[in-house]
Amino acid sequence: MPDTPLGSLKVAVHARGVAAAYAGRMLATLGATVTLVEPPEGCALRREPPFLPGSEVSALFAYLAAGMASVTGNPRDHLAEAVIFIDDTPLAEREALGIDEAAIAAAYPGLIHVSVLPFGAFGPKSGWKGEEINLLHASGEGYLLPNGLTTELFPGRPPVKIHGHFTEMQGGVAAALGALSAWWARPELGGQYVDVASQDAGLAVGAFAIQRLGDGSVEHRVERSFRFGGVIECADGFVELLTLEQRQWDGLVDLLGNPEWASDPDLADSVGRSRRGPEINQHIRAWAKVRRVDDVVREGQQRSVPLARYYTPAEVLADPHEAHRGLFQTVEVPGAGPLDMLVSPFHFDGAPLTLAGGPPSLQEEEA
Amino acid sequence: MKPLHGIRIADFTVHNAGPFATHLLSQLGAEVIKIESAMRPDAFRKPHPVYGREGPATFDQVASTKLSVRINLKKAEGVALAKRLVAVSDIAAESFRAGVLDRLGLGYAALRDVKRDIVLLSVSSCGQDGPDSHFAGYAPLFGAWGALSDLTGFADGPPVEMRHVMDHTVGMHSAVAVMAALAQRRMTGLGAHVDVAAREVASALAGEALLLAAAGGSPRRMGNLAEGLSPHGVYPAKGEDRWLSIAVREDTERAALAALIGGEPDEQAISAWSRARDANEAAETLQAAGIAAHASWTTPEIAADPHLRTRHTIVEVAEPDGTHRAAVGVPMRLSKGAEIGIDRGTPRLGEHEDYVYGELLGMTKGERKALEESEVIY
Repeated sequence: MPDTPLGSLKVAVHARGVAAAYAGRMLATLGATVTLVEPPEGCALRREPPFLPGSEVSALFAYLAAGMASVTGNPRDHLAEAVIFIDDTPLAEREALGIDEAAIAAAYPGLIHVSVLPFGAFGPKSGWKGEEINLLHASGEGYLLPNGLTTELFPGRPPVKIHGHFTEMQGGVAAALGALSAWWARPELGGQYVDVASQDAGLAVGAFAIQRLGDGSVEHRVERSFRFGGVIECADGFVELLTLEQRQWDGLVDLLGNPEWASDPDLADSVGRSRRGPEINQHIRAWAKVRRVDDVVREGQQRSVPLARYYTPAEVLADPHEAHRGLFQTVEVPGAGPLDMLVSPFHFDGAPLTLAGGPPSLQEEEA
Repeated sequence: MKPLHGIRIADFTVHNAGPFATHLLSQLGAEVIKIESAMRPDAFRKPHPVYGREGPATFDQVASTKLSVRINLKKAEGVALAKRLVAVSDIAAESFRAGVLDRLGLGYAALRDVKRDIVLLSVSSCGQDGPDSHFAGYAPLFGAWGALSDLTGFADGPPVEMRHVMDHTVGMHSAVAVMAALAQRRMTGLGAHVDVAAREVASALAGEALLLAAAGGSPRRMGNLAEGLSPHGVYPAKGEDRWLSIAVREDTERAALAALIGGEPDEQAISAWSRARDANEAAETLQAAGIAAHASWTTPEIAADPHLRTRHTIVEVAEPDGTHRAAVGVPMRLSKGAEIGIDRGTPRLGEHEDYVYGELLGMTKGERKALEESEVIY
């Protein structure tokens, strides 16, 4: 009996980009046996920056492929045991490889065939190329960032992207969800084709901007700022502050030492506070600038004020909370040695998931 | 038949992250019963000030396709009623602070007592255990804790807040975890308690940077730069606040770009070329030349886009008052089964109690009336 959630599932992944690989990574971490099918020279992600210090090992590939096995060849030849096949080959190249929708359905009628492309496999833009920055801007969030303090400091600059591969990873999450949903229905429906677009997934997570359009508001990064709170600079770093509820405002006032300005009746309700947000922020910023992040967060959270430290990656790695949660696991990264690798944001029945290992060496099965 | 037809979810989630998870599952066919009360409606059902505007800014999208009932969980009879609902459900979902569900008498052990193989999804800012598990949080805090926000922004500026996308990616991740738990239940007959920590989702979206830091590197925010891609960035286009994203990976693409703009494609030359062109037309020109490009789209452009309409990513939803609005559907297309997506608009509070209490739980009108009078169904 499998002791991981997806312990009975076999998945083949053919990935050039982040979206398909992230889908495979999620399924692998949940316990599926995931095989990365690579061309002889290795999948393109192996050559994608950033590289681990002093090596030619891609940190991106190592993270995304952790826990997977690797084989080389045409993916069509490695699907006999797979239940799910995740592929991001551009549409125009699929037929030559015999991995287009019709060919796969004919050869493997029980297979869940998941296509993951920047703009999907259907529709006028299905042939378009899309890197992360293009997808972020095609799905709306690109135009809406930055906000708050950054827009105050740099009003004339262009929009700025989210770190890394945010939108492509949303495509990966959607692909994993589509794959598991189709697998769930497989006893009734058999194999099928799942068409995922990273643009769609990016738009799904940004859906509120579309809703607000229906409500009559066209969002813009300059206006999409909290009237007070947001990114606040302390003596030794930044904190995030967001109070939405009255009791949180009350806690904030207490945290600030119940200053006289906060007792103004005009600030008693949220509408009044929004109106005078910039003025409130001046007070908060002056108060925070001479205090330490840890003190502000600890004393604020004691008063149920939503406050968080802006952690650097190194701080997340050293964080006692995440150590307690088992967010990282030491795995062997070929070419770089043992390293702490993020496992998963999921716990099942009170325990973290585990990685089956680090990323695979190329042609691992012949090593 | 949608893929999750026959799956029922007792949905105690509030705000954005948890509700988005059940919203996705509802579009995939699960019957999602949203549980609120007049005393404690979902905070996002009520108007609240966002960015200085008062409005029901965020509720409609994530509540659509769900059923709505009222249960007052402050009363023991309310907790008992909630358990009756869980007893006929496959999944229970909640997004209270860690420990709240236990204090209500609805923790995992209590729910397992009424439904042996229940899958409980708990979505919280910091997870169900650990020294910070009691911390309150919203989307911008998740990104801050998880390092994703520290890595986002201009190199010479402060970190940048994540907004609703952070909530919703937590929800979409959670939906995957729930599907894995359902698969496990099918194999083993056992339920599970799925614990999703929102700050760890933010970290997972920067997993390569965390690995870099673990190896001694120092990843930092770097604006619109992307290692390995050049040129890469957001360039001005014709018109006020119009922008064009361009990303070049291969030498052949670089050569094509040079040919298009008539010279070496440095930042200045690209900007001079793009500034004279409509963003969408320029993107089409670049794509035709094999270069990844897209206009920086505003929401009206997205809502009207033929590609997204063709894919049913953008759909029209009818609200109970007869109005229509654009909404975003579940981001996938399945080749078999009934079409997935949003079936209905926002439910009124308690709109589906005849079905849920009458048909599903078999309660008599007298029983329901008594519970209403005692403010249990309230």
